[in-house]
Amino acid sequence: MARRHRLGAPAGAAADGAVKRLAALLATVALLAAAEPLPSALHDEDIPRILAFGPWPPPLQPDPSNRVWSQPAAIDFGRQLFHTPALSANGRIACATCHQAARGFSDGLPRGVGLARGDRNTLALHDLDLQRWYGWDGANDNLWAQSLRPLLDAREMGGSLASVAATVRATPALRQGYRAAFGSEPGADDERVAVDVAKAMAAWQATLRSGRTPFDDFRDAVARADREAAARYPQAAQRGLALFLGRGRCYTCHLGPTFSNDEFHDLGLPHFAEPGRVDPGRHGGIRKLQQSRYNLLGPFNDDPAKSTATSTAHVALEHRHYGEFKVPSLRNLRLSAPYFHDGSAATLREVLRNYSELNEERLHADGERLLLPLHLSPQETEDLLAFLDSLSETP
Amino acid sequence: MKRWLLAAALTGGAAGAWACGEALGAGTRTLAAEGWQIAWRAAPSPVPVGKHFALDIALCAPAGQALPAALRVDATMPEHKHGMNYRPSVQAKGAGLFRADGLMFHMPGRWELVFEWRDATGSARRLAQPLTVP
Repeated sequence: MARRHRLGAPAGAAADGAVKRLAALLATVALLAAAEPLPSALHDEDIPRILAFGPWPPPLQPDPSNRVWSQPAAIDFGRQLFHTPALSANGRIACATCHQAARGFSDGLPRGVGLARGDRNTLALHDLDLQRWYGWDGANDNLWAQSLRPLLDAREMGGSLASVAATVRATPALRQGYRAAFGSEPGADDERVAVDVAKAMAAWQATLRSGRTPFDDFRDAVARADREAAARYPQAAQRGLALFLGRGRCYTCHLGPTFSNDEFHDLGLPHFAEPGRVDPGRHGGIRKLQQSRYNLLGPFNDDPAKSTATSTAHVALEHRHYGEFKVPSLRNLRLSAPYFHDGSAATLREVLRNYSELNEERLHADGERLLLPLHLSPQETEDLLAFLDSLSETP
Repeated sequence: MKRWLLAAALTGGAAGAWACGEALGAGTRTLAAEGWQIAWRAAPSPVPVGKHFALDIALCAPAGQALPAALRVDATMPEHKHGMNYRPSVQAKGAGLFRADGLMFHMPGRWELVFEWRDATGSARRLAQPLTVP
């Protein structure tokens, strides 16, 4: 293991000029640490990783697969579609029924409940333009396909391509919204209309950017070597961050501006969706992706060059993907309890207990050796909670 | 088929010091063993964590030996005992040049970039490049 230098020690040879200058400034800060508490738990080599968690917020990323992405009329239509129950089979369930704004666009339930109870926790909706895969199993590679899925799922909204298209054609407000967004009346092709509906919904959901957090203020203070501002970040959160980057190795998967590598891992959680029925996780997600007409290699991608389909074209289906689930963003965690794909952790404290007491016997025989029980002390648990809490918007 | 595991001789030098892969330009890294040479250059470089990257590759054979028509590229994290979540595609461009697309190091840490091919006798050849992704 590489030797870790406390912040303020000489910068490593690999550090670039900017990092060296930053380290030098923080060295000054460290010298004054006795008089003024500063990021004393952090180290020089942590700085590039801290900086890589931002800046925040980033601009909206383009999606050439969706021809109405970022277009105001489509965003308005998408907002309307998201909140209407008219698209569900019983006329009583909207996307917003499970994706509630006050809960970070999740529902507060262990597992989502539409027309019936589902197998998985309802994922929060924010920063969706920054994601490569959608859903706990990554069965969709684009936001419009992911938006179409619950409309057609029998346990969620229970619609069909035909029912969605018919509702849009028959509902004056939706028909008007479609015309404004797409420049024409909804046509006779049910599938085309339904996919367009999903593209408008994606256009709106992509605007759901999570806000700045106390951590972002700290990160930016580190970036500009602002001693006073950095010192305002609570000491417990700084210690939690040091643990997150260091012994906890959380950074291995929770990295970058969304605190996620947007890939899939096995945490040793139970694999059963219910007694006798396994949730295959990522393995099933890849199979669904490859069979879908709505993936980025399919006929509904509006980008003739399919320039964003690299992941879809190269994704590998392997046995180890059984029981893997998506690494979620850690932004606005406070709003999206309960946690894990099966909603089995009611609180972040329970999430940390899972990592602390990890059940190694449940991990795949060919699983990742980086997952070892952390055996967190009570103080370490409190520090990590303070850090994780700082990743949510201040009310 | 006997599998030859060749220890890579890492030079870290620029392509200009090598006849193999000179055309790949700045940032080229080289591997060599038993007369075989691999020169490779990543795009983007340095390789980012969690993002796709591609490799331009030159494979050079010992004097008198034929170049293979195909090359396999892969990567693993030896300590984690897993590979990439993506299977690269490799396109032969002729004269020992190849282009590999679709690679991704989805975690920081120590990776091993692996190049494999068969020589004219059908024997498997392999060169491996350790890389640490910060």
